[in-house]
Amino acid sequence: MKKKTDHFSWWMYALYALILAAVMLLCICVGSVNIPLKNTLTVMWNTLWGLELPQGVSKNIILKVRLPRVMNVALVGACLSLCGAAMQGLLRNPLADGTTLGVSSGASLGAVIALAFGVALPGMENAGTVGMAIVFAFLSLLLILSLSYVLDRSMSTHSIILIGVIFSMFTSSAMNLIITFAQEQVKSIVFWTMGSLSGTHYRHSLLLAAGLLVCGGIIFGHARELNAFAVGEDNARHIGVNVIKVKLTILIAVSVLIGICVSVSGTIGFVGLVMPHMTRMVVGPNHKRLLVSSVFSGAVFLMLADLAARTLLSPVELSIGVVTSLVGAVAFIIIFYRTRKAG
Amino acid sequence: MSKKIVSLFLVLLMCIGMCNAAIAQDAAVSVTDMYGREIVLDEPAKRIIAMTPADCEILCAIGCEDLLVARGEYCDYPESILALPSLTTGGNLNVEEILALEPQVILMGDMNQSAEQVQQLEDNGVKVVVSQSTDIEGVYTAIRMISALVGKTDAGEQVIADMQNTFTAISELCEKSDKTIYFEVMPLEWGLWTAGAQTFMHELAHVCGMENAFADLIDWQPISQEQVIERDPDYIVLVTGMGETAADEVLSRDGWEDMKAVQNKLVFNADSYAMTRPGPRLAQSAIDLYEFLYNTEFVEAAE
Amino acid sequence: MLKGEHVTVRYGDHTVVNDLSFHLREGMWLMLAGPNGAGKSSLIHAVSQGVPYGGVITLEGKDVRRYKPTQLAQKIGVLSQKNNVGYAFSVEEVVSLGRYAHARGFLAGKDEQGDAQVEYALELTGLTGLRKANALKLSGGEMQRMFLAQVFAQDPSILILDEPANHLDLVYQKHIFSLISEWLKTPGRAVLSVVHDLNLAKKYGTHAVLMNNGSCVAQGELAQVLTPQNLQTVYNMDVYGWMREMLAQWQ
Repeated sequence: MKKKTDHFSWWMYALYALILAAVMLLCICVGSVNIPLKNTLTVMWNTLWGLELPQGVSKNIILKVRLPRVMNVALVGACLSLCGAAMQGLLRNPLADGTTLGVSSGASLGAVIALAFGVALPGMENAGTVGMAIVFAFLSLLLILSLSYVLDRSMSTHSIILIGVIFSMFTSSAMNLIITFAQEQVKSIVFWTMGSLSGTHYRHSLLLAAGLLVCGGIIFGHARELNAFAVGEDNARHIGVNVIKVKLTILIAVSVLIGICVSVSGTIGFVGLVMPHMTRMVVGPNHKRLLVSSVFSGAVFLMLADLAARTLLSPVELSIGVVTSLVGAVAFIIIFYRTRKAG
Repeated sequence: MSKKIVSLFLVLLMCIGMCNAAIAQDAAVSVTDMYGREIVLDEPAKRIIAMTPADCEILCAIGCEDLLVARGEYCDYPESILALPSLTTGGNLNVEEILALEPQVILMGDMNQSAEQVQQLEDNGVKVVVSQSTDIEGVYTAIRMISALVGKTDAGEQVIADMQNTFTAISELCEKSDKTIYFEVMPLEWGLWTAGAQTFMHELAHVCGMENAFADLIDWQPISQEQVIERDPDYIVLVTGMGETAADEVLSRDGWEDMKAVQNKLVFNADSYAMTRPGPRLAQSAIDLYEFLYNTEFVEAAE
Repeated sequence: MLKGEHVTVRYGDHTVVNDLSFHLREGMWLMLAGPNGAGKSSLIHAVSQGVPYGGVITLEGKDVRRYKPTQLAQKIGVLSQKNNVGYAFSVEEVVSLGRYAHARGFLAGKDEQGDAQVEYALELTGLTGLRKANALKLSGGEMQRMFLAQVFAQDPSILILDEPANHLDLVYQKHIFSLISEWLKTPGRAVLSVVHDLNLAKKYGTHAVLMNNGSCVAQGELAQVLTPQNLQTVYNMDVYGWMREMLAQWQ
């Protein structure tokens, strides 16, 4: 009897963790300000073991500026990539992603409404924005999917994307309308939609990590169902998948993750679209391997993109979205071309 | 998307200035604006619309507030002009609304309005005067041009002289030092932006005898947080318009606690509009900055 | 085993299956026959819970709507007419999905009986050599065999097949249909299928439902249903005469 090959063996996971750790270390060691490698490593090592830290600027830059940022970038990359992989499988649509489906803009709209009308939850800072972003992400997904179902029963790839684009336009005009009427908060709204990872804290990492743990866990738990959906929704029903329940569960998990990401970092395009796609070309479409790999590849990709954004034009800092779109598009074309040729 | 927003922010804060003006004698008025077009009026303008806050402030400073028939939406100083009809600016220019007000001259910045929109206004007999200044010298030019348009060149020269006197007085009070000021024009939450060379803030730092911490950059630029910590400026001046708690927010930033400016609590929440608009209030900004930097009151020296 | 009572399927105002009743008993191979647009596939969709329908369908006396999807999938295997795959899964991966209803969650990896069933299904359909092949690059016939293998891996007691002969060349038509006949010999099993080709229906079916315009024209034992008169009514041509004429070509 042949051994099951669905999952990776332990050494593949070890390899992933190693690459992740190496890239993370690289991103902490290299930055806009040049800090000697030895100093960086000393600071890291001493912090790890609770030893006394050397005085100087580098300690603050490494521990309070770079480390939280790199962690947040990695987590956002992981979340977006995972969401992309889950949606592409669920909808059997290789072009599905938070940005192409308009979920991210929906989440932004929710957060903007929270800012404009002062929606807040007691006890937690920004909970109103995060909550509204999540709720709106989910509502947008429902709306887009039911619209595409009504307009085109077969839910073809293109009609969903088209409706996503139209929905994005709609949300951006809705946002403009709100900005027009909410003059006082206008600046904070406009800039909130831009988002930035540069001032994020460890508490954001905590929020992202919690989201990834819970929603990621739920998505991982549905790897087999996602395989079935990726083969075909009818087929999934025939083999006994509770189609509506699973679909709803995954869509909620994805909405929560995208809502959290958008409320922390604003909209970062391309990661959720390209990374799962590229990962699939390497490890195949089986979600038991694809989901895990997408988490790692998304984290690594966004960390490297952020590194480029921070260092290329130093001291000027680029927007991370510029880098992801640029690098993502080029890498995508190259890989696409090569697999076509090889296949 | 983000580029558009940044330019919107620039409109919000900076809002425009001026150009080269040629002064005409007698009743007939002739000026040249930055599009290089000559603008000729039979007599000094009586009905004016100012689209940019700075032009508005200049008109009011030379005592011509009563000539304004409307203002651009972001014009908010002096407060008395808020009663005037407000017009949308930039690409959303409402040409019909402007024509209905029957202005003789409209003062505009070189922002988002299209050449077609300008042409449309000109075709209907409204003189468009475009202004854009990036340094204090440019502001003087703008004042001269606007005062010429309304036939009040003397009042204009007086405003310019007052400004010059203030700057000179401050310069004389300040010893040249290599202390640095970091100007923050966008807060960390939205990604830091600073003002480099060729900005009013850069010039004001020099007036006060100090250096801009980011003099190596030109214009407003997004910068990395690490760079600010690394350059460890002596003073932090906030031009973000984020309200009263802005300085506290800076003082409590993670990783900034060992910086000189933070340790000594030398963070100044400046009047962002006064400091970024190419108008007469730059003189007051210089005074505010001086008083913060040297922790003393500015007393105008007797002539 | 499987019983439909007054089943009605509507798409908007258009009624495609009209008040149709049937009864699939153990050991039966029930053929749904009729011309294009008769509502055969829609009836299959209703049974497999793919479309909303009126009336009641019961499995072993219990309304199928009240079964959990996994319970239903353990008893009923469905091969649909239009099959394609979204991504480049391997044949083995697609076939293994058939085991979904039997072992889920953490048990999924240790489903040894399931592994054996998958091997058996691959072998049965002649796909053992193609197990690692990219499902996107299969021919129509291979694709059809792959999904049939998935149904066998699912190990149900009732097979519901919508045009199983689709895309299959003669060798595999014969192979697959004999296979299903063989499979049916084990007690406790039954087959419900749509077959376009009346020859295949006649050779392998035990019973038939002859449909036209959504309604049942005749049902019962095959020989009593596919009579020259019935076929003449439904197809509006002399089917028996045509079949003989075709056969004569080979003599």
